[in-house]
Amino acid sequence: MTNTNRFLNRALVFVIGLVLLLAGGAVAVGALLPDVQKPVSQGADDATGPTSDALSGGQPWILWVVAAAALVLIVLLLWFIFRQGHGRTNTLLTVDSGEGRDKTTGGSLSVDAKVAEQVLEESLTRDPGIISVDVTAFEVKKQSVLRVTVQTRRGVSPVDIGATVDKAVAEWDALLGTQTPIVVQIVGGLRAQMSGTARVV
Amino acid sequence: MTSPAIYRRVVRRETHSSRSGIAIALAVLLIVVFAWFGVESVLAALGQPALLVSPKDAVVAALGAVSGPVGLLTAGGAVVAVIGLVLIVVSLAPGRKGRRGSVSERTASVVDDRVIAQSVAQTGAYAGDIDPDQVKVTVGKRTVDVDVTPTSGRAADVRSIEEAVNDELKSYDYSPSLRSRVRVSEKGTLS
Repeated sequence: MTNTNRFLNRALVFVIGLVLLLAGGAVAVGALLPDVQKPVSQGADDATGPTSDALSGGQPWILWVVAAAALVLIVLLLWFIFRQGHGRTNTLLTVDSGEGRDKTTGGSLSVDAKVAEQVLEESLTRDPGIISVDVTAFEVKKQSVLRVTVQTRRGVSPVDIGATVDKAVAEWDALLGTQTPIVVQIVGGLRAQMSGTARVV
Repeated sequence: MTSPAIYRRVVRRETHSSRSGIAIALAVLLIVVFAWFGVESVLAALGQPALLVSPKDAVVAALGAVSGPVGLLTAGGAVVAVIGLVLIVVSLAPGRKGRRGSVSERTASVVDDRVIAQSVAQTGAYAGDIDPDQVKVTVGKRTVDVDVTPTSGRAADVRSIEEAVNDELKSYDYSPSLRSRVRVSEKGTLS
């Protein structure tokens, strides 16, 4: 439900995988072929002297460039990590003032997601097959979407739970006077394993 | 005001992994490596003693390793290549989360496969008049395997179990849809 850019996640994993595959493959194959291995190791031997001179004080700018590049990459990766998992919102609905049926006549109105949470939790937890309900609002494509997570008791049919939720949603729609998209998640979870079955045998 | 496009997007996102776990783990590893590179470079540029290895020693060691023993190089390279291959597969695989979704007129819903398995087990146990612990249900991508262990000395009523399970599956409109396969174990259990 969050607006995480999933393509970027996969792209990062793919690029790192490709670099490792190519580098590892080149080392493994190159070491096996004498025609490749000899000139490369010769070249590496020749380069050892100049590079160690440059890095031990001859050319200090190289070290500063490396440090700066490392800093830039660290900042990029931190941005990459902290952009994950956004998209929650507290406001479910805002109605601006103006003319027309779906506008308020004076001042604007905003409905907090907490209202939906409390109304839906209240009506859903009455079902004996439901252990707990969690309602969170997300913003998907500039629209508030409610996610209703229902934790069921073991062995309860998801179709029955779906019917209960549909009824609760219809009541909520009537109360709100309009419809906002709702996504229902039916999950089992640890408490469902422990809670025993709903049917009395 | 229904919004099929939003529902399709949300159901897709809730039934497939975002791959954020492995991406964040790799990013943290890279940050640690880059931070170390940066710190060692600055220390070397200022003429201070290195934390672990100075950049000069590291580069010289890497250049020296090229002419190292062939077996070691090949093995090391192969291990790195396999890790790379695994990461590529992870980045391209769909990463299903063991859930299935459906979009109705008013709402979209996503159901855990575990909930389906427990519900099917309950249905089967009730139809076959056996304890729910005697029915083991495994939900795959498109199939539901129902393994029934009958009570010793009593024949299991496979027909009615099968019918009840199929009725239950028919009432679902989740995709990917499921087919059932009921098997009765030859060993019985005491109850």
